[in-house]
Amino acid sequence: MKSVWVYSESESVSNEVASAAVGVAEGAGAMVQVVDIGASRPGAFSPGGKLLLKGPHPDITPALAAEALARAARELQPLVLLTGATRTGREIAARFAAKMRVGCMAEVANLSADGASFSGDRNVFAGKVVARVSCQFPAAATVKVGSYPKMAAGEGVVQEKEVGEVSDPVRVVGREKKAAGAVDLKSAKVIVSAGRGVKKKEDLPMLEELASEMHGALGCSRPLSADLGWLPEEHHIGLTGVTVKPDLYLAVGISGQLQHVAGMKDSKVVASINTDKDAPIFQASDYGIVGDLYQLVPALRKALASRAR
Amino acid sequence: MKIAVCVKHAVDETELKLDANGSPVLAGAPGKMSSFDKNAVEEGLRLKAKHQGEVVVFVVGTADSKKSLKEALAMGADRGVLVTSDPLSLDSFRVASMLAAAIRMSGPYDVVICSEGSSDTYTGQVPPMLAEFLGLPYVGYAKKIGVEGGAAKLERSLEDSVESVEAPVPFAVSVVSEINEPRYPTLIQIMQAGKKPIEELVGDQVAPLGDYSQVGVKSMSSQPSVRKHVMIGGTPDEAAAKLVEALVKEGVLK
Ligand SMILES: Cc1cc2nc3c(=O)[nH]c(=O)nc-3n(C[C@H](O)[C@H](O)[C@H](O)COP(=O)(O)OP(=O)(O)OC[C@H]3O[C@@H](n4cnc5c(N)ncnc54)[C@H](O)[C@@H]3O)c2cc1C
Ligand SMILES: Nc1ncnc2c1ncn2[C@@H]1O[C@H](COP(=O)(O)O)[C@@H](O)[C@H]1O
Repeated sequence: MKSVWVYSESESVSNEVASAAVGVAEGAGAMVQVVDIGASRPGAFSPGGKLLLKGPHPDITPALAAEALARAARELQPLVLLTGATRTGREIAARFAAKMRVGCMAEVANLSADGASFSGDRNVFAGKVVARVSCQFPAAATVKVGSYPKMAAGEGVVQEKEVGEVSDPVRVVGREKKAAGAVDLKSAKVIVSAGRGVKKKEDLPMLEELASEMHGALGCSRPLSADLGWLPEEHHIGLTGVTVKPDLYLAVGISGQLQHVAGMKDSKVVASINTDKDAPIFQASDYGIVGDLYQLVPALRKALASRAR
Repeated sequence: MKIAVCVKHAVDETELKLDANGSPVLAGAPGKMSSFDKNAVEEGLRLKAKHQGEVVVFVVGTADSKKSLKEALAMGADRGVLVTSDPLSLDSFRVASMLAAAIRMSGPYDVVICSEGSSDTYTGQVPPMLAEFLGLPYVGYAKKIGVEGGAAKLERSLEDSVESVEAPVPFAVSVVSEINEPRYPTLIQIMQAGKKPIEELVGDQVAPLGDYSQVGVKSMSSQPSVRKHVMIGGTPDEAAAKLVEALVKEGVLK
């Protein structure tokens, strides 16, 4: 039986990609195999059993993973390799596709398949448009993180495959953890999100307090995390960050560029505060206030407090 | 040091119009240099400033893509190569194979620089595919690049960590926007850029399709989100109170 391979450097992402793989396998009449490289990971879900690639050192770089997967694929001929659309997953899928000379779909959700090909939806033009893309088997694809539920860990047979040693001329000599996010934005019911309208890092606690008074979490636009480093990377919402769907999204000092809106447009209710009456965020909002966040945030906190009393 | 920088002439998403069915009107849609590619050009120029040599910019695109090449030339790049093709009808594999062919024809290069992802299609696939086709060591999502003798030290920004890595020269790299602040060309530089050479190659000639089967687009549509657009006025205190009241009524605020 043909197989749909799932590989991710992260077990939690692997469990999401496995969900996506189930639909592809069903449509294509194939089975899902979760692939491990170097060492078997006990947790990851694998409806069709595990495939363990032996040979490479367990400290795997994207280049090593792609080479190991390609060597195994030349013999075992999977229909498709699915990875998560993470920074590492994108590289692995792209390298694998280049080595195998097969097509690679990017950042897809809503995957479906028939015998010969598979399709998925992806954001293009900064999220303004959704494209349905498709590709003939054999192929590769990265699955949009956050678009599928995680599958529970399962038990299954482990098939082993020796791929030999692989090497990467790029050496990792150090690794430093980024500051971890205190909150899980994906599960937050209320998100207060800070943008460049916030003048300095010292002003963030005010927004953090507003968020917690609303029983919510603090998110931000990309510049605050990626460029200014005021908040950890996993706090930024949008095309290159997380996609969120809270009950309430309150955008504070965010202009509302398409790349940001792409990550929050499915929120139930959107409210925004901006000094510029023409800011595009108002087009994406149910409620808008034109005004200075330095006046409105304290006023909001006061209004919340008087309600609580 | 010979430095190749890949820039994409991307569809300007802010100018892109949708037709009555919500499909994008791509024919004649205005373009601009893909945002993060300015960081890629800037990094190439900084490497050149340190190590001398030459910065050559490459684009796969229609004739209109010359605009992005000229912008990079105005920033300080030495010359440009236009590989003609319609990138919207191509997938990342095809773009990367055309770039690889063009880079090989004018190479070898010590460093090949892309950005992490293009502003219109953001696949993040072209840079690693290009590295594969060129057979170069590759570091993705670099936020710092330093070259010393035959080796490079880089910092790679991942979701939850920053990795320090070492790569031999030559190598390929993709950069994130935090790596630098791109310069703005002066008026004089913009005028002088017109005199810098641009070579033209034909994409399907330098990299024929062969038996490769492309990723295709079946359909495109926009999903307009339906919002109420209620603007709340008054003094800050009044507006805040009205907003809280509305949100409670919506049932989204406890
Ligand atoms: C490929 C690509 C991917 C991207 N991905 C993302 C992404 O995932 N997420 C993301 O957020 N961005 C992303 N961006 C960046 C995006 O295009 C915007 O640059 C960014 O979202 C702008 O952030 P901002 O709204 O905080 O800042 P700005 O655009 O600078 O807006 C600041 C706003 O604050 C308002 N303001 C100023 N002072 C005050 C005040 N005192 N009170 C109230 N309002 C005030 C201003 O009127 C303005 O509207 C991406 C860009 C590219 C090219
Ligand atoms: N048509 C193109 N011409 C030149 N460079 C490109 C092209 N497409 C992508 N690139 C390069 O690859 C990077 C990532 O693009 P993408 O893989 O499309 O997200 C871009 O930032 C460019 O550096």
